[in-house]
Amino acid sequence: MPEESRVTATSAIEARHLSKHFGNVAALDDVSFSVAKGEFVALMGSSGSGKTTLMNLLTCLDTPTAGELWLDGVNAAGFDEEARRQFRARHIGLVFQQFHLIPYLNALENVMLAQHYHSVTDEASARRALEEVGLAHRVDHLPSELSGGEQQRVCIARALINEPPLLFADEPTGNLDAENEARVLEILQGLHSEGRTIVMVTHNPALGAYAQRVVRLQHGRIMQ
Amino acid sequence: MAASRQITRRLLWRALSVRNQRVWVVFFALMVSTAIVNALVSVYFDIDIKMSRELRTFGANFYLGPAHGHTLPEADFDRLVSAAPPGLVAAGSPYLYGTARSELENVALAGVRFSALPALVPYWQVEGAWIGVDFDDRNAMIGRTLASRLNLAVGDTLSLVKDGQKKALRIKGIVDAGDASDSLLFISLELAQDWLEKPGLMSHALFSMMNSAGNVEQFAAALRTGHADWAVRPIRKVSANEGNVLVKIQGLMGLVSIVILLLSTLCVNTSLTAIVSERQREFALQKALGAANRTIVRQVLLETLAISLAATVVGCLAGFVLAQVLGQTVFSASIGLRAWVLPITVALSLSAALGAAVLPLRRIMYIQPARVLKGE
Ligand SMILES: Nc1ncnc2c1ncn2[C@@H]1O[C@H](COP(=O)(O)OP(=O)(O)OP(=O)(O)O)[C@@H](O)[C@H]1O
Ligand SMILES: [Mg+2]
Repeated sequence: MPEESRVTATSAIEARHLSKHFGNVAALDDVSFSVAKGEFVALMGSSGSGKTTLMNLLTCLDTPTAGELWLDGVNAAGFDEEARRQFRARHIGLVFQQFHLIPYLNALENVMLAQHYHSVTDEASARRALEEVGLAHRVDHLPSELSGGEQQRVCIARALINEPPLLFADEPTGNLDAENEARVLEILQGLHSEGRTIVMVTHNPALGAYAQRVVRLQHGRIMQ
Repeated sequence: MAASRQITRRLLWRALSVRNQRVWVVFFALMVSTAIVNALVSVYFDIDIKMSRELRTFGANFYLGPAHGHTLPEADFDRLVSAAPPGLVAAGSPYLYGTARSELENVALAGVRFSALPALVPYWQVEGAWIGVDFDDRNAMIGRTLASRLNLAVGDTLSLVKDGQKKALRIKGIVDAGDASDSLLFISLELAQDWLEKPGLMSHALFSMMNSAGNVEQFAAALRTGHADWAVRPIRKVSANEGNVLVKIQGLMGLVSIVILLLSTLCVNTSLTAIVSERQREFALQKALGAANRTIVRQVLLETLAISLAATVVGCLAGFVLAQVLGQTVFSASIGLRAWVLPITVALSLSAALGAAVLPLRRIMYIQPARVLKGE
């Protein structure tokens, strides 16, 4: 017990013997690692190595088959659906590879929606968040009227709007050109320097170099 | 809180305005079914009265006569009327028959209450005019056959004679009834009682009664047990069929309403299912952002309710117009707007819509964001 408290006090994420099985496919097999508060970690590995599966567990979108997952000092492995939902709303910012915006809401409303599910909406702060990602002039555009890079920046603004302690990005630049990729990485680095904990999945070793540390997965296991 | 309501409203409005085609399908399905159901429900409750009135234009449908002998007291007419449930008796008249001598030859006459005749014998073709007042003892109506035998035209005078007395009657209308009435002279009941020396008596009485759901038959049965001196009978040709036709037509309308509601429920269900699967990613994303199932379900329910309400309002208006068209074509009468038809229609339509929404809404609860969002 004292040991646990000590670890969780300094770790934002602490995975212990985490496994996820789909039928008889072991997508994750006895994975243990930790991410310190304020750390920027890149999660790398070949296709099918279990990156998305791990991210889904870390973001409380899915439950592990076995193991413990300490997030900000609580064991999320035992969460039921409602607890996972609340934890997501309060503690986690999500950036997806495919942007995933509500198509009929404009940029501002998409950001405000995250506020709405978290607590209350605040238009001024939603505008500020869009300004911070360089979209002050695009707030009332629909996703279909925005470029891929702009859409992804709306997603980042949305992920940050509730100031979550944990920010997860699954291949955030996978669908972007070099210029937009640089821009998104710049934003992520800025957030890191502000002291935020970031976990980013990537295929690209060049991107991995931006992170403080790289965690490698292969066939559902951590490689050291 | 106000800001939250604002984003809920925006979600609602944007979702509706963006999903034009499917929203219109749901709207039209519900609108048309509401209109038809509203019209049928209106007619359903109106038809009882309309149909009865329609069939009653074939005339008297109830007979009261003496069980023994040839006459009974005129007072029995009023006793029967006051024994009837309110609204049952639409019109009625005592009839007193006899023969009298005229200047020309003997004539068969009938004393009647003139004011009741248009309701009792609406099929009469009258040349000249009906007599409007019961106690009119200066005018008479005369059957076509008798008139031609006596060579009388409208406006002519016919005099009854008796023991040196003479009573002049002006012919106000010549009747073509197609039955025994064509050979009768119709005079006021009082005059007949006086002339025939049968004060306060009548031969029989005829009534026109509102028949819905066998009321007349019930009333006749009730009278038979209490009055041994009366012979009462519904004039069945009209009364019995009337009830049967009514029950059949109403059953048919009920069936049509149910089928239409079921069809629109199916149609709405199909559209909502399509909408939910089209928006699967959107719902998965909302869940990933921390939206509770109940929040999303409430949002979609709100959308459905908004469409349904709009469809119901328009449908009710269209239904009222449709009811008028039906009323005019079938009964040549307008259908009354009954206030309680609206809540019935609205309740039926909204439950059809909500019933249609149950399964699609359940699907939303089972959407797993991890599965849906990772699809490349
Ligand atoms: N829902 C599922 N049912 C069955 N097997 C699954 C499911 N999700 C993932 N898997 C399997 O688990 C393994 C890891 O999948 P995962 O999506 O985590 O890989 P990944 O590292 O994200 O790959 P990529 O780089 O291609 O996105 C794969 O072999 C995959 O087939
Ligand atoms: Mg993946």
